[in-house]
Amino acid sequence: MLLLEHDAKEIARDKGVRIPQGVFVARDTVGDLDLLGRGPWVVKAQVGVGGRGKAGGVGFADTPDAVAAFIRANADATIKGHRIAGFRVEEKVSFRHEVYLSFMVDAASRGIRLLLSAQGGVDVEANAHQADAMLTAVAPPGLGALVAAGENLIPALPEALRAPVRSAVAALAQMFLALDATLLEVNPLFVLADGSWVAGDMKLGVDESAFARQPALEAAVRARPDAYPEANFKLDHDFDYVRINPHGQIGLLTTGAGLSMMLIDEMLQAGRQPFNFCDVRTGLLRGSPQRLIDVLRQFTQGDEISVVFVNIFAGITDLGEFADLLLQALDAVPELEVPVVARLIGNNFEGAKARLARSGRPITLEMELDKALRLAVAQVGAAA
Amino acid sequence: MTTFTLDPATKVIVQGATGRMGRRHTELMLGYGTRIVGGIAGSGRREGSPTPLFDSCAEAVAATGAETSITLVPPMDVLAAVTEALEGGIRLIVSPSEGMPVHDAVVAYGRVQAYGATWVGPSTPGLAIPGKMKLGFIPDISLAPGPLGIMSKSGTLSYEACFRLASAGMGQSTWVGVGGDPVKGVRFAELLPYFQADPATRAVVVLGEIGGGEEEELAEEMARLSFGKPVFVLLAGSSAPEGVTMGHAGALIQGGRGTIQSKTTALRDVGAQVFTSIEGLVRGVMEGDVRS
Repeated sequence: MLLLEHDAKEIARDKGVRIPQGVFVARDTVGDLDLLGRGPWVVKAQVGVGGRGKAGGVGFADTPDAVAAFIRANADATIKGHRIAGFRVEEKVSFRHEVYLSFMVDAASRGIRLLLSAQGGVDVEANAHQADAMLTAVAPPGLGALVAAGENLIPALPEALRAPVRSAVAALAQMFLALDATLLEVNPLFVLADGSWVAGDMKLGVDESAFARQPALEAAVRARPDAYPEANFKLDHDFDYVRINPHGQIGLLTTGAGLSMMLIDEMLQAGRQPFNFCDVRTGLLRGSPQRLIDVLRQFTQGDEISVVFVNIFAGITDLGEFADLLLQALDAVPELEVPVVARLIGNNFEGAKARLARSGRPITLEMELDKALRLAVAQVGAAA
Repeated sequence: MTTFTLDPATKVIVQGATGRMGRRHTELMLGYGTRIVGGIAGSGRREGSPTPLFDSCAEAVAATGAETSITLVPPMDVLAAVTEALEGGIRLIVSPSEGMPVHDAVVAYGRVQAYGATWVGPSTPGLAIPGKMKLGFIPDISLAPGPLGIMSKSGTLSYEACFRLASAGMGQSTWVGVGGDPVKGVRFAELLPYFQADPATRAVVVLGEIGGGEEEELAEEMARLSFGKPVFVLLAGSSAPEGVTMGHAGALIQGGRGTIQSKTTALRDVGAQVFTSIEGLVRGVMEGDVRS
């Protein structure tokens, strides 16, 4: 997952990386802004996807009033479907050069890829098509190896950039490794007139699987439940849940990431809107309905949900026991008054069938996935 | 580049054999016919272990001649387990754990390469030669001997698709889950030479998903090897929004890369059939040119 630029930069500063001073301004801030410096300022929408600048999420302002005006105008904007979490306001930096420098986990080579270009800035992707514009190397995940990889690239840079880039490679490689980062992209990396450098913009991809040994990252994510809803859900409940469409019609109570993704695709192909993705992992229920309750509670926030679709492929789980937990969970969330289509298959289907029938609840049980999907789709009524 | 090979009679040790999961899955794997010859004891109960217990991989390998291990350990312990297996002489390591830190996976892969060994996972449901052996969690009801070579990023999607194919009479020759993490020991393309050479494999079924470049890389490898068997691909995640991870850490679209369109085009260009529903895949395979 990507951290907001503001969070990434504050973490970077704690790691000794030089960044422009800035403040976070909430979307709904009223009254005077508490800005740093005397301006002019850069106002940057905070959102967890790239391409923000070209989507109109970055503005320049000479006065605090102009800063406030930009924030008001963009507070309710979305960028690539993501709502803006707030704004970072920084004093504009006077620079000589814009460099591109990034480190990322490279899945294909299973190493760390370093990318470097003397022509950074928002057009770096366009410039990358020019021959030799982007320098790249792959190294094992160690500081010495990454610095050495950088040393091999630096001679291709203009003389004036070599010393600052050498310093930046060492500092940012150290930060990348220390944080278990999946991506650390600094673009632009400003080189100033005195030869020093500042991280102008920053994308930091973090690994949720490493949070157990990265308490500062976990704390940053927990501090913004609205900006990082999925990561916070996972931290709180220990399984994956993603709200896909607040106006979705079908609530998914399903297990397995790949299969749940597939079901969402198939529902959309049938013209119906799924409310969510989830992977409750039946193997980890351990006799408690809690995870099922957690998901059903989410569905009470969907005003257009007209059916709950359950899909459990039980290789090991006993379906009779699962049926009991499902009934307990439905009892625990009485305000959710929608029918349930349950597709269950595997161990002890008959036990589940008997229990669900005895409950007298409006639960349709089906063993075949395609039939169950059609039943759920039919419950929604005509395609939207 | 990893060379994948799998001997159905390979001797297997279980790392983490005394944990709750370790004990249960040791029993299930033994029940399926896997030649489990020992386990490495963790902190759990030793009494009544379904397999002889040892204190280290090196000791287990010396006593049993095992060449394969499965690491049933918590995600933060996978790197140490892989390292211990390599140092003990293990040649094929399977790591089902979900949630291994990505930097650990990069380090583990480097060590596996240095030893010239093979690592499947992490976050894999495992692998199997149906009717003979399985390593991992693949449910028995989805396993049936047959002509299809299976490679999958997802456990559950492969369980469902293979269950339906098997119910329709089309079982599997070898089944390998590569896992849903971005950094992994064996990638799709690295399984292709095995399936090309394996006489029991008449066609290959790929359960892929958005994110990363494995499907595109597979298409390149199909072209490079002039892969001669039919390839059927099911891709999940066509509707996933950019920048949001759907359960699998690897299933993430960023900056327009790893999309369904890019994967579909690359695979169709080299003659694979690509589907976006399970029903479509099953029909395609059943109507396809698969000599069983």
